[in-house]
Amino acid sequence: MSEASRERVEADRFVPGQPDMWAFVLFEALVFTGYFLVYMVRRSQNLDLFLQSQAHLDLRVGVFHTLVLLASSWSLARCVQNSREGSHRAALTNAFLTMLFGGVFLVSKVLEWTAKIDAGFGFTTDEFFSFYYFLTALHFLHLLIGLGVLGIAVHQLRSPARRSQQAIETCATYWHTVDFLWVLIFALLYVMR
Amino acid sequence: MNDKRELWIGWWTLVVFYNLYGLLFFVITRTQPPPQPSLEPAEIGSWFADRHYGLLYGYAVVSIVGGATAVMNATLAYSMRRMSVSRAFAYSYLVIYALATLPGMLIMGVVCTVGAMRPDRDPEIMSWLYDFAFLSFEGTMGVFLIGSLVWMAAVLLDENHVFPRWFGYLSLCNALTEVVVAPAWIFKSGAFAWDGAIAWWINMGVFVTYTTAFLTLLRRLIEREDFGTGPLPDLATDPGPGPSGAMKSAG
Repeated sequence: MSEASRERVEADRFVPGQPDMWAFVLFEALVFTGYFLVYMVRRSQNLDLFLQSQAHLDLRVGVFHTLVLLASSWSLARCVQNSREGSHRAALTNAFLTMLFGGVFLVSKVLEWTAKIDAGFGFTTDEFFSFYYFLTALHFLHLLIGLGVLGIAVHQLRSPARRSQQAIETCATYWHTVDFLWVLIFALLYVMR
Repeated sequence: MNDKRELWIGWWTLVVFYNLYGLLFFVITRTQPPPQPSLEPAEIGSWFADRHYGLLYGYAVVSIVGGATAVMNATLAYSMRRMSVSRAFAYSYLVIYALATLPGMLIMGVVCTVGAMRPDRDPEIMSWLYDFAFLSFEGTMGVFLIGSLVWMAAVLLDENHVFPRWFGYLSLCNALTEVVVAPAWIFKSGAFAWDGAIAWWINMGVFVTYTTAFLTLLRRLIEREDFGTGPLPDLATDPGPGPSGAMKSAG
């Protein structure tokens, strides 16, 4: 089967991007469900400690991070829409805007970690902070990979010769998944009392 | 087809060895699932005593069959040689997995055998051997991390459709769970310790899924192999690329 017909067959399956990326979404959702379940079990066993330590997190910082990532998902959705309509210059602008939001999140997360370490809350301080650093660092790593993935989307958009709508939508699927994981991490670490 | 005989030998070596590996580590030596890192020296002495013959006989067999990893790794690397990507992928994979055998299997086996051989040793020394053995085992994580990323890149760049792209993404997922093992170097108890729910149990669940997937896909690769250099033909009954068809065959 040729590459073009293969892509056409996959486009008929009613999911944006490569169906294979949705398999990744499923794998990651299952693995993170495992991490979240372990967190919930440990939290229920040490509720006082978790609540006490959680009080040292600044909810406003968590809200800011969530808004930044939701904005990044919005700009990437616009990028995909622009690309579908053939407005590739606007799509590129939105892809760069998404990268900017991603960068703001990463810098802000490092600043939050630095402030927490300066205040004496490290990876081994207590179990809550172990989970805090573990979940946020793992998400940070996913987002770093996401910036590389966005680089692929930009690379695709820049040249009419290699432009593939499916590849761009596959990249967007990855980014939205990572954003979605953050919303869950935010709810578990910052909000749930 | 007889032309495929060598490939089937490699594939069956993989299947037999993985089962044997499971039997030796989980049943005979009982070193997996790993014990708690927080055991006291006296408890560690009892741990070695309880497994005395299992460790001696089990690791004797490991030392005999360990060389089978060469055939296994070559079969895995063959998939990358059949792809349209540079040979550097297969070479990197071979070298890195040859390295993994050392800390993940041989050093661990030798150190556990040293502990089991003279159970009347000073408990402090036994405790030292215990930490050394399990940290050596954990030491393979970086190798599996890079190995998975090499395979991922090869699958995603390949134009011969040797493996479906979802396997490339599953490789990324496997690589990311190797990163999660890193806290085992820091914690002696809890979810992140070397026996923890996150560092061991979830990681092992992903690894078993990953191994099952690549064994199934390697079998399909051998069935489809035409010994050419272009795209690998689909099987007559192949439901096509993508997760739905491939997942069905894995099940």
